[in-house]
Amino acid sequence: MATVDATRPATAASERAAAGGPPLVHRLRRAMPRAASIVITFLILLVLFGPVLLLAVFSFNDSPIISLPWAGFTTHWYSVAWSDAEAREAVIHSVTVALVVTVLSVTLGTMAAWGLTRLRFRGKGAVGGLHGAVLVVPWLLVGVSGLMFFSRLGIPLSLTTIGVMQLVVTFPLVVAIVSAGLIRFNRSLEEAAVDLGASQLQMLRYVVLPQLAPALAASTIFAFSWSFNNFEVSFFTGGFEQTFPVWVFSVLRHSQNLPMVNAISTVIAAVQVVLVMGAWRLMKVLSHGAKDEELADIMVGGMR
Amino acid sequence: MEAATVGRPARPRRAAWMRRALPPLGFMTLPTALLVVFFLVPMAILAVISFEWGPLSGHSGFTTSNFTSIFSDPLYRHVAVTTFEIATIAMLAQLFVAVPVAYVLAYKAGKFELPLLLLMVLADELNPMVRIYAWRMLLGKEGVINSGLMSIGVINQPIEALLFSKFAVIVVLSTSYVTYTVIPIYASMKAIDRGIFEAALDLGAGWWTTFRRILLPLIMPGVFVALLLVYIPLFTDFASPTLVGGTSGYMLGQSVNDLVLESGNLNGGAALSLILLVASGLFAVLAYKLAKIRQLD
Repeated sequence: MATVDATRPATAASERAAAGGPPLVHRLRRAMPRAASIVITFLILLVLFGPVLLLAVFSFNDSPIISLPWAGFTTHWYSVAWSDAEAREAVIHSVTVALVVTVLSVTLGTMAAWGLTRLRFRGKGAVGGLHGAVLVVPWLLVGVSGLMFFSRLGIPLSLTTIGVMQLVVTFPLVVAIVSAGLIRFNRSLEEAAVDLGASQLQMLRYVVLPQLAPALAASTIFAFSWSFNNFEVSFFTGGFEQTFPVWVFSVLRHSQNLPMVNAISTVIAAVQVVLVMGAWRLMKVLSHGAKDEELADIMVGGMR
Repeated sequence: MEAATVGRPARPRRAAWMRRALPPLGFMTLPTALLVVFFLVPMAILAVISFEWGPLSGHSGFTTSNFTSIFSDPLYRHVAVTTFEIATIAMLAQLFVAVPVAYVLAYKAGKFELPLLLLMVLADELNPMVRIYAWRMLLGKEGVINSGLMSIGVINQPIEALLFSKFAVIVVLSTSYVTYTVIPIYASMKAIDRGIFEAALDLGAGWWTTFRRILLPLIMPGVFVALLLVYIPLFTDFASPTLVGGTSGYMLGQSVNDLVLESGNLNGGAALSLILLVASGLFAVLAYKLAKIRQLD
């Protein structure tokens, strides 16, 4: 594919050169947008990752003020962060909620995806639309409506209310990823399994699950990040129990930048990098030689 | 078999109904119930509260004053204009860079396509609060950029407009959402039959003509999906303007928060939320329709 584009402008230009046109100017004019695109891509990567890398660098800076010039290397801020009770509590809260939300999201999401892609029932359009609508409604509005719902019913806000509302916004994402997976594979394999005498359970276990494994791995990692990263919903439905993003928000709102926050953020970012890379390896292992492109499809699907 | 059906018509028919209805009920009841109870009902309660007045617990009669006071207040008009301005500039900036980036990913990256894509996903999975904090650290009055420029003597005074300004909000929002803009456009580029570019080239089209007349119309569905995924949340974003916007970058999402949590005016907050909900719903339907129509063309 790439060869077509690489050779084509050259031949066209040389054809035109034979016809008397200026080949160099032409070639330059053709190469310019491509070069500009590549430059923009590098700039975007720089802008996406540069600040976070600098944040990590400054977590080792031996100065309470985050600015240049460099004041020397220290791991002091990591021990400060480690002994900060509020910070530790917030991280523990986030991890706990995210683990529970992930397990429930993957379960509920896979169930709903199976129902919406493989079963026939009345009102399917409306039910599918409801699952899709959740993905479009901004989290701020979900959070605010959740707050009003719980306060009207007199339910005190806690980690549980955070978890329930996060589940509501997270599992439809799993529905989207898994449904995309289910639509992609060959249903005749399932029919063949049933024709050859497999029970429904055997068919699910030996035919569907192996094919679905990469999508499930992707769903797991995305559900975890969505829950862990979620700010708006946790902020409005959380009361006094803070999650990590809510904690960072309240620290930043009331004070200057703190090197301790750099330290915690660096650890969190590093763990997230490891998780995403790990999920990618896992998907490759689970998919037994599926094409990279298909895996990329699934991975990208999590962002929609 | 026949005789049995005629003799006892009720039971087999019921059994058949059960066989057909049970799997959908089994798979769909729990997820759907969850969405109805914790998504639809809260939205309905929000709508009800927006038409009420008085304290939340001892709620009282119907009123439309929550809406009229929002629509007649010049402050909200001002905030709405700022929000529109910031969201639109951020969206345009993202589209402007997303098209070339998607182009590189889809056609030029070769063996780097997958690693680049993975980097995009990774950037997206980093905690948004961490990213906002990183920008704040860079842009602050005593931040890395200002202190860096001052220490090498480019400037004498820190550039204060970097942080707590519209500019800061636009930078932070654009970088937070740009991956969501790139991916749908990338997906629609991947779906294009590349022969069409050769044809354009053979017919003597320059790159600008090829871009405007061929690439752009074909990626419009992706652009509309990007609008759906990015433009709507841009209007309701609340963390970024709070942390980097100062007073000049104050947005509607903050108004919702201030009404609900700071001033305890739940009715007003509900009304503003409902306005945003309806507006984003209308916009979503429009973008979805446009994406569909474009796909049919």
